[in-house]
Amino acid sequence: MIYDLWSILPIVILIASTLALLLSQNWRWSILALAVQYLGIFWLVTGVWPIGLAAVKLVVGWMAGAVLGASRPSIELIDARYATLSGRLLRLAAATIAIIFIMSIAPMVGTWIPAGEPLLLGGLILIGMGVLQLGLTTRPLAVILGLFTTISGFEVLYAAVESSVLVAGLLAMVNLGLAMVGAYALLSPAMEEAS
Amino acid sequence: MSAPLIWIFFPGVAAIGLWFLNQKRQLVTLIAVGICLLLVLFAAIFPVAGAVHLGPLTLEIQSTLIILGRRFVLDNNDTALLSFLFLFGAFWFLGGWVVGPHRYFIPLGLAMLALSVAALSVEPFLYAALLIELIVFLSIPILVPPGRHAGKGVMRYLIFQSLAMPFLLFAGWASAGYEANPADPRMLTLAVVLLGLGLAFWLAVFPFYTWAPLLAEEASPYICGFIFCLLPMVVLLLALEFFNAFPWLRVYPPVSPALRPVGLLMIISGGVWAAFQQNLKRLIGYALIFENGFALLALSLSNQVGYQMIVMTFLSRVLAFGVWSLGLEFLQGQVPLNFLISRGLLHRFPFVSLGILGSIFSVAGLPLLAGFPIRLSLMENLAQQSLVAVLWVVIGIAGFWLSGFRVLSAFVQSNQVEWKMEEGWPIVLLLSVGVIMLFLFGLFPHRFLLVLQGMLQAFEQLR
Repeated sequence: MIYDLWSILPIVILIASTLALLLSQNWRWSILALAVQYLGIFWLVTGVWPIGLAAVKLVVGWMAGAVLGASRPSIELIDARYATLSGRLLRLAAATIAIIFIMSIAPMVGTWIPAGEPLLLGGLILIGMGVLQLGLTTRPLAVILGLFTTISGFEVLYAAVESSVLVAGLLAMVNLGLAMVGAYALLSPAMEEAS
Repeated sequence: MSAPLIWIFFPGVAAIGLWFLNQKRQLVTLIAVGICLLLVLFAAIFPVAGAVHLGPLTLEIQSTLIILGRRFVLDNNDTALLSFLFLFGAFWFLGGWVVGPHRYFIPLGLAMLALSVAALSVEPFLYAALLIELIVFLSIPILVPPGRHAGKGVMRYLIFQSLAMPFLLFAGWASAGYEANPADPRMLTLAVVLLGLGLAFWLAVFPFYTWAPLLAEEASPYICGFIFCLLPMVVLLLALEFFNAFPWLRVYPPVSPALRPVGLLMIISGGVWAAFQQNLKRLIGYALIFENGFALLALSLSNQVGYQMIVMTFLSRVLAFGVWSLGLEFLQGQVPLNFLISRGLLHRFPFVSLGILGSIFSVAGLPLLAGFPIRLSLMENLAQQSLVAVLWVVIGIAGFWLSGFRVLSAFVQSNQVEWKMEEGWPIVLLLSVGVIMLFLFGLFPHRFLLVLQGMLQAFEQLR
């Protein structure tokens, strides 16, 4: 696979942002990483969609980040099992293995899904890293961020095969719904007494 | 006026209205039950689509509503299906009046019902994946009411249910690709695999079922029961719609042999894990896995009997899970729900105990109860295809029976000699009606089958 700089940059952005999401224990950095991730997604999707439609993904991703950020999740990301250096190294090692695995299977997936190589690699990296994150935690914010990563990976691949405005709109609704569910899950302990 | 306006938007708008009244629980319950019964009555008296005569007035109800180029279609073939869904809603909301789950339950539950109808009526129906995702989102505030932490079970439920959506969307693309180019068998394989994965996530198929017992343990039993009935029913109806809409899926050779071991694995794992379970709340999670296993096994028959079995499981599932979760919700907070600790419950809560036992044994398929005729008929049909499969089903059923006898043993063991009934009349009344219905369905299944079969009218290729 030979890439030019223009197509490799969004993949680098996606790898960096998903790694940041996986390793970060600070919610501010995580939300920032999510915002950067959606920038990479926008960049990739502009290759197959008109810029106006691709911008929907960017705007929705940023709005979702804003909704999650507004709930001020503070301690919700701190996971004692992975807060130590060894815990982070374990995650980094797992992420490295996942990325190598994804790069090795991408050409095979390409025979099934007719997406360009950068789009395919970007989508698969998002799915792989998202699933990895979902497998490593049950903290609400981390789960929601993992779901965003995984679903956005599918969205990148789906963009290559479907460019319907309605689907884009409904997926945007799902993303915003997920952000609201996430914000609710973060805020619910501090809300009124359960009855 | 169109049918989707009546069956989707009316309950949907009512749910929004009820949200603002959620502090007045009795009023909200009354209105929600009234709306559901009104819709059931409407379906019984008037056609879902067509001319409605109200004295001198004649109202034409269109079957289709078009939104952004996508169609929501409800016609007279959907009458039984709509009646069943809203009757289910009325049944569950009425029970909520007695055990009082969280005040968000009824408004969000009604909205989930409206979205379920939308998911079943949208064309192309693969858009249903997005609508079901919205149903899952709406279920989160009732599973995690304000003041509670979202636990592992809820998070896993959200993860697994959300992962289904992309697979279904891709399955839609692959199946459209195959229909456009039937000479490409790779697209067919891809469509079937993706469809299978999507359904596996939705139906808590092995190994994606870990969330079910965890969720049952964490959340309110009554709300769990509602979700454990509604979501699998909608997903199974969608699975029937896949079989109805894609003729190639019905005849694709690997589908049936793939569904059977999956169903068997769920029955065995659900039954065996249930046998070792001590927590009555977690047990209902294993019952979900067990029931879904039977539904998949019925689907694997790929014939009309199998499709009939699927719609028949709906009523037995609703009755058993309804009585069971109502009883557990009543007991929650009064006694520990580990039956090895709370021995002798039969002496203190005889109706609740009998209701829970009746439900467990109905799920297990004890003769005379609602689950029995379905299990028997399914095994008869399965035996014609594979006796080994029947043997595995018997092992799973034995596991659930063992679980039922363990609960029975714990419920009757007591040092307390005298009987003391600590239940109020509303719960006694509801549970009695539920248990009587479990027996009636078990004794006269063919009477109910005639009504339930009407649901298959919605699927013209499967009738």
